[in-house]
Amino acid sequence: MSKIKYNLFLRSVLICVIAGVFAIMCLGEGVAQTSQLFRVYKKDVNGKIPETSDAVAAGKKIYEIKCYYCHGIKGDGNGSDAPRLDPKPRNFTRDEYKIRSTGQGVLPTDEDLFRIISSGVEGTAMPFWNTLTSAERWQVIYYIKTFNSEFKEKAERSEVAIAGGSASSPDSIKRGQKLFKEAKCILCHGEDGRGDGALTTTLKKQWDLPFKARDLTQSWMFKGGNTKEDIYRTVTTGLNETPMGSYADYLTDEDRWHLSHYVKSISHDMKTDVVLKSKLVDGNLPSGPEDAAWGTIDAVELPLAGQIVASPRFWTPSTNSIRIKSLYNGENIAFLLEWDDRTNEQDEIYSDAVALQFPTKIYEGQQKPYFAMGDSGKGVELLHWRAYDEAVLAAQRTEDDGIKTETDGGDDLEEEEGTDDAGVEGSEAATEQEVEEVIEEAAKEEFKGFVTIKEMNAKGFKRLSVQPDKSQNSKGKGLWKNGKWQVMITRPLITGDKKIDVQFEKGKLIPYALAVWDGSNSEIKGQKAISSWYYLTLEMTTPGSVYIYAIVAVFMAICIQFWVVARIRRFPTEIPSE
Amino acid sequence: MSKKKNSYSMMMVIVSVLIVFAIIKVIAPYVFMILLAKDHTMPTPSTLLLWYMILAILACLVYVSTSDLKWANFLSFILPAGDDKLKLLFQKMIVISIPLLVGWFVYSGTVPGTASPVELRIQHPTLLQEFEKLENPFAHADEATKRKCIEEGKHLYQQNCRPCHGSKADGNGPFANAFRLRPINFTDPGTIATVVENFAFWRIKEGGPGLPAVSTPWDSAMPAWKDVLTDTQIWKIIMGEYVTAGVQARQREEMEH
Repeated sequence: MSKIKYNLFLRSVLICVIAGVFAIMCLGEGVAQTSQLFRVYKKDVNGKIPETSDAVAAGKKIYEIKCYYCHGIKGDGNGSDAPRLDPKPRNFTRDEYKIRSTGQGVLPTDEDLFRIISSGVEGTAMPFWNTLTSAERWQVIYYIKTFNSEFKEKAERSEVAIAGGSASSPDSIKRGQKLFKEAKCILCHGEDGRGDGALTTTLKKQWDLPFKARDLTQSWMFKGGNTKEDIYRTVTTGLNETPMGSYADYLTDEDRWHLSHYVKSISHDMKTDVVLKSKLVDGNLPSGPEDAAWGTIDAVELPLAGQIVASPRFWTPSTNSIRIKSLYNGENIAFLLEWDDRTNEQDEIYSDAVALQFPTKIYEGQQKPYFAMGDSGKGVELLHWRAYDEAVLAAQRTEDDGIKTETDGGDDLEEEEGTDDAGVEGSEAATEQEVEEVIEEAAKEEFKGFVTIKEMNAKGFKRLSVQPDKSQNSKGKGLWKNGKWQVMITRPLITGDKKIDVQFEKGKLIPYALAVWDGSNSEIKGQKAISSWYYLTLEMTTPGSVYIYAIVAVFMAICIQFWVVARIRRFPTEIPSE
Repeated sequence: MSKKKNSYSMMMVIVSVLIVFAIIKVIAPYVFMILLAKDHTMPTPSTLLLWYMILAILACLVYVSTSDLKWANFLSFILPAGDDKLKLLFQKMIVISIPLLVGWFVYSGTVPGTASPVELRIQHPTLLQEFEKLENPFAHADEATKRKCIEEGKHLYQQNCRPCHGSKADGNGPFANAFRLRPINFTDPGTIATVVENFAFWRIKEGGPGLPAVSTPWDSAMPAWKDVLTDTQIWKIIMGEYVTAGVQARQREEMEH
């Protein structure tokens, strides 16, 4: 009798222990991932069918079901959807094909067209047509070719040779870097390759649309693929009807490989994480966006989309991603926001800007305000930095410092800020003394050269209000260099305004979202690039007790284990003889 | 007595549990990637992993305790190994690894870290009464009108919905990556094919903000289109959208008598 009980006991203990162990293990490692599904350039070509009039007719049918909304019924790239697209759809009646394996000014091969239709083009509206069979894709290609008679006239289109590439090496990259300057790549692509070269802003194509040189740091945006072979191909063939010409005659094969290696080396992949970890620092936070302390921590890069949830909607944002880093100390939290912007052109109305959004209150469970500007029930707090405002405030301060007399410059500044945002309700109660106090305070000690940025609250797009001056406690400092904005924003962890300010508490998951405006793209108010909710958490240092717990647990496990082993060995379960 | 062959059933149990773990953790993501024709792996959610592991362990323990013989054999692995070197080695491994595992679990469980936010989406919230009663004004139109509406709807779809839901209605529009709750793939037979047209009408008109709280309206990037689109336009979009996606709306069941 007692044996049965003993066995039962042992079994249940075993089951409980092992199940518990797995429970802890599995809960410990939650899966939080985001999947970016960037379209990649796929090189395989298959199932080619002969170019017959039947195939062309079949292609026409497909084209007029799938393609003409963008590319137009006549193939002129002027479909009903074209006004909302940037870049514009390809005009098939011209030879403006970009991704080709043929020389400059030459039409692409059928295989080139097949690759583009199968791969889609990241950064544009062109999808990968996996829903078409390869035969159907060939039929569409044969139909597309009828839009441009040159396809028939110059049927012979030879591919450029891409083989023979050397492996990438530090020397090769160095040589490529030199060539990048010598071959005048920097004139358009900019010194750091962010597409901010001196020519970029002056070159215009039809309808005054700017030619935007590729930002070579964003690997996912390389239209014809981002392998070194793809880059080499683009350098060799050029992009038809753009300022990007062929370098086949200008640079030797080898030099073009060096250049490709260099371009590859300056590009990075997007590393997104759902949770941004703010690291604890002893002492002072970084003194500005260019502080070396920022270099040591990892950034989270978030993809951005046009603001499409409230009208007027915005279909063509110029910023597609933003990187964010965060640090905190005993009193303040600091964020470094970095995004690529080809220009630094600000004016009173259209200015580059960035906003951090937090819920005013952290809710239990997964509840949050609406990701775009909150909703009527749950509000959000916005920390809004504007390049133009900073320049004006900074100029104001130098003036103040120089004259050392009391001026009331801060007042009209506030008014300017207020008029920038539509729907600002009753926010014009600026009292000059307070503004000055804030500026003076900012000039002091820790955040030298920072200006007070605008803290706002929103409960939906139409209910946006600027916080009263005494509640404005965020500061910011921006730096634009070589096509990149770096903006550092800092705020006290805890403020006195618990109703309108988010409180940054350790160990909590604090939702955050971002918005970016590009002034040169006429982005203002709701015309902006936005992200959805992500999470910020203030990392805690590991307390010593954790190690003690672990050691105690190990010790207990050893004890229990040896007790069990001893029990079993002392009273071995009899193996039934039959 | 020592002639009797040593039983390795405890090792078998441990090995099979590890195999199950490997299958769920490593192999399943790839299997589901192929089965569901996705171009990324499909990691098993941790709670699912937890339950499968508990089930696997329970099944093993149930198996080894189905008879007294099996149970005795199972426990006999802990008995002195004698001159069986292999058994001795395994015993040492078990004895060392269990406390270490426990220690590691306790450490990872208590170390201040960030639990990943758990976020779920309820796919089909209940359709509101007021939308239940609506009817597509073109439902009984003649074929020519219907064709015209579908074509108009397709244009409207491409202009308004394409940036997120994509030209192919597969949820892969150029903006799709930016929304953590990815836009719905309409070609997936589990999405718009399972709802009536009225449901689609409600979702388009009221968007994310119109969702009930259980459906996490704060994460949905679906705009409320009532601000710019008329009801007629929305019905046309629905007709165009189903054709673009190549699926059909669920038909309303016959009214009860």
